[in-house]
Amino acid sequence: MAYGFLFGVVTSLCQAEGVTVILPDAAELLAPVTGIDGFRLACLIDAATGMVVASIDDQENTVPRAAAGAADIVNVLALMNGGMATEETFEDVMVTFSDSFYLIRPLRRATEPQILLLLILDRLRTNLAMAHRSVRDFCASFAG
Amino acid sequence: MSQVPKLTRARQLAGSVWPGRTVDGYSNLIVARLRRLAATQSTGMLPFAGHCEGGVFFQDGLVVYAESSRTPGRPAGGLAPLGLVPGGTADLPPGPFGKLADMLAAVEPTVDATVELLSSESRYAKFRQAGLPAVPGARPIPLETLLAEAARRRQVLRQLSVTLTADTIVVRDTRLAAPRIKVTAPQWALLSRIGSGATPRGLAMELGRGVFATTIETYRLLVLRLASVPGYDPPRGRGEHAAMSFTRALSEERGI
Repeated sequence: MAYGFLFGVVTSLCQAEGVTVILPDAAELLAPVTGIDGFRLACLIDAATGMVVASIDDQENTVPRAAAGAADIVNVLALMNGGMATEETFEDVMVTFSDSFYLIRPLRRATEPQILLLLILDRLRTNLAMAHRSVRDFCASFAG
Repeated sequence: MSQVPKLTRARQLAGSVWPGRTVDGYSNLIVARLRRLAATQSTGMLPFAGHCEGGVFFQDGLVVYAESSRTPGRPAGGLAPLGLVPGGTADLPPGPFGKLADMLAAVEPTVDATVELLSSESRYAKFRQAGLPAVPGARPIPLETLLAEAARRRQVLRQLSVTLTADTIVVRDTRLAAPRIKVTAPQWALLSRIGSGATPRGLAMELGRGVFATTIETYRLLVLRLASVPGYDPPRGRGEHAAMSFTRALSEERGI
């Protein structure tokens, strides 16, 4: 029942004009994160090319720019990590704006970022710790 | 010194001042033809000949596949060449990730080939009714989505062209600037093949990866000073290489 509702939301949001993603039917894979309190936008980004793979978005023209910014952030962090030669793996980035939180996390934990999840949340309606946990669980279940 | 070939650069510069012509005018002709095919909900193939041979396959006005002689097709060895699963693993990982990775593996060669067909000095031939190629997992893509992605990629390549193009020869730099450095698996795959000279396109063809993604990864090796472009002398005090920015590429694409 809940999943059916979420799928309906996903379908209607994906039909919004101005959203250009390469795999629109992959948006249904993002349905679970729409249930996070304060959800505004979610998209999947190919880190190798910066391409938006799938998205769920309620604001026109937000996705391409947000995704490009997220890919740039991860690119810079990957270069930094390479230059510092740490033995650590990149897990996620959390950015705080006055009204929103940005969460960026690779779908699979690996030595290099591959497909990234970008989630934008309304700061006033979000418990960041709970949202972070939900995103972590989502990525773990997504990776299989 | 720009890495863009002199003839291409001359055409880009001249294109902006010739009466009735726009920059990359030929590419605009191709785009117009593709748009007509999409608008008429055509099914078949638009072949390309010349510098870059290939074709764009339509089904009911949607692009289902594109191929080019200068880009690799769908990787025969599964998803490992795309860096989506560990090397040597050809099978899909279970669950949603496997489904998504499979979709991406089917779409990426089409986007890569489209960028090449729009960038190269090729010419299209007569649209013909043709059977769709047997590409596993091929997915229909709206033309405007494909063109938007191709335009974005061309802006990124334009940023990099000061230092590097897909056809620039790079060599492995044996003088490590740092005592230790860490490379990713895709970077190591490139480094081990660069040797005394290779181009991003050659590496992409050898590995079965996208030319665009390989060019970006090669650029990262330049930034990490693990590879270099022979004869390229980066300007001092303004950063070693042209900075790549996906965000800036969007702004430039829209003229912001």
